[in-house]
Amino acid sequence: MPVRTPHFPDLLFGPAARLRRWEGALMGLLEAHGYRELHPSLVLREALPDGTLRFFDGDDLVALRWDFTVALAGLLARGFPVPPDRVAYAGAVFRRPVQPWEAVERFEVGCERIQPEGESSSEADLELARLLMAIPGVLGLKSAILHLGHAALVRRPLEAERLFGDLADAVVAALSRRAPHRVREALNGHPAAARLTAHAEALLSELNGPTTLGALQSSPYAELLENDRDHMERALQALLPILPPNLELRVDLADVAGLGFYTGPTLRLWAPGAQQELAAGGRYDRLFPDLGRPWQAAGFCVRLSRLLDLAETRPDLFEQPQ
Amino acid sequence: MSHRTLLIAFPKGRLGDELVPKLAGTSLALDAEALKSRVLRIPTATPGVSALLLKGADLPRYVAAGVAQLGIVGSDTLDEMDMDLLELADLGFGACRLSLCAQAGATMEMLRAKPHLRLATKFPKATEAWLTREDLTAELVPLSSSAELAPLLGLADAIVDLVQTGGTLRAHGLVETLVLGRSSARLVAARGAYLSEPERIRPLAERLIAAFRATP
Repeated sequence: MPVRTPHFPDLLFGPAARLRRWEGALMGLLEAHGYRELHPSLVLREALPDGTLRFFDGDDLVALRWDFTVALAGLLARGFPVPPDRVAYAGAVFRRPVQPWEAVERFEVGCERIQPEGESSSEADLELARLLMAIPGVLGLKSAILHLGHAALVRRPLEAERLFGDLADAVVAALSRRAPHRVREALNGHPAAARLTAHAEALLSELNGPTTLGALQSSPYAELLENDRDHMERALQALLPILPPNLELRVDLADVAGLGFYTGPTLRLWAPGAQQELAAGGRYDRLFPDLGRPWQAAGFCVRLSRLLDLAETRPDLFEQPQ
Repeated sequence: MSHRTLLIAFPKGRLGDELVPKLAGTSLALDAEALKSRVLRIPTATPGVSALLLKGADLPRYVAAGVAQLGIVGSDTLDEMDMDLLELADLGFGACRLSLCAQAGATMEMLRAKPHLRLATKFPKATEAWLTREDLTAELVPLSSSAELAPLLGLADAIVDLVQTGGTLRAHGLVETLVLGRSSARLVAARGAYLSEPERIRPLAERLIAAFRATP
């Protein structure tokens, strides 16, 4: 149900201090790893999608910043012939909420790792995963779960079956609901129905540690996805030995959130019992080429507003600050 | 009750009437004494797992917000509400049809030929989707109950409603003109609870699926 009265939370004392402390600590972590801050303007003038907070500045329709990645990409594509390889950001974005409990003003800290097209991206993906693994400790979360996914696991079979448009959207929506029976319903009568349903069942059969990758064996597209599976396996081999205590690594083969944007590995950070993910990111190699720049990129965003809510509703999930 | 107690939202009404006997004798059987009372939070045979009895239209909201971690609801309700929740299984029971129903003698061609078709329904979203697919226009008359009365009293030309046995339709002199879709009970889960604590939620979900699939 659309929210008619957007809410703009006021942060009083405790949460305000927590926001300041977390922003500082996270930006410190990113700076220590070579990420330099960029601060795109709060007011954006180009391509204003639905859900943005729009208003007239004289005769011009403008919007409040709704997404840091998009804002930064525009800024970099316009002003930099060669992009900085590591950028970080902190501040608020403004979006009309999809769910009634979401705020309009949302505080975020995040980073982007940008490379020229053609350069190997594996090390950059690992660098981002390692950084994300450090974040629960910086925030004082007692325990957390990192979900590792890969956009190609769904995208590639759909493309191989030449499934686009509404039908592909219906399959993605069914996977997002973790409902293989909905995949079957959506593709009723389609020649690829049986194959894609079997693939959906394989993707959804497990949500566990590294052994989850084995579920791909039973997919009709196992061969097509061999390289992507190898990529995930190598990432797991690199990450598991350095997993901090109290951080669990899970493989989520059916992660389709943001599938229209992500092109490679995806990362999502959860706390046990949290209703929403606390950080999310992944590889998105199509954004800069769409802006006319031959660059590839990956990044993640820590959703501080959700963390502030979680600290209020589930303080037991956090260490008490000294 | 601590927030670590797991809550399963069960529907009241038609689906609930089918569901309670299926759970009897299982580890998730609802407490018989509590069921006889007016309380809406019922202990189950498993300590730490309770059931909420909710109206079907409210149930997805409780699950999407994470108040209840699991729930059972008809797919017709899910399709109308489009809430952000997971749909782990088609439980198979509670099967019915979403159908266009009109007074006996009225055919689809007659309804199509009407210059101003009026359809009464509790399912405006599914009805609109069907109208779009069929390239038809109609005035939708939204109702929340007793849609069968609408064609009889001139409020609408036909209705779009759930049909299980057809008994209520027959009692009102209506016939099923066209089947638009099918509905059955679905096991739903809160996205956050499922993704952040699958080791707690998945075994419970599997027990529910087993309980419902074991009984005819």
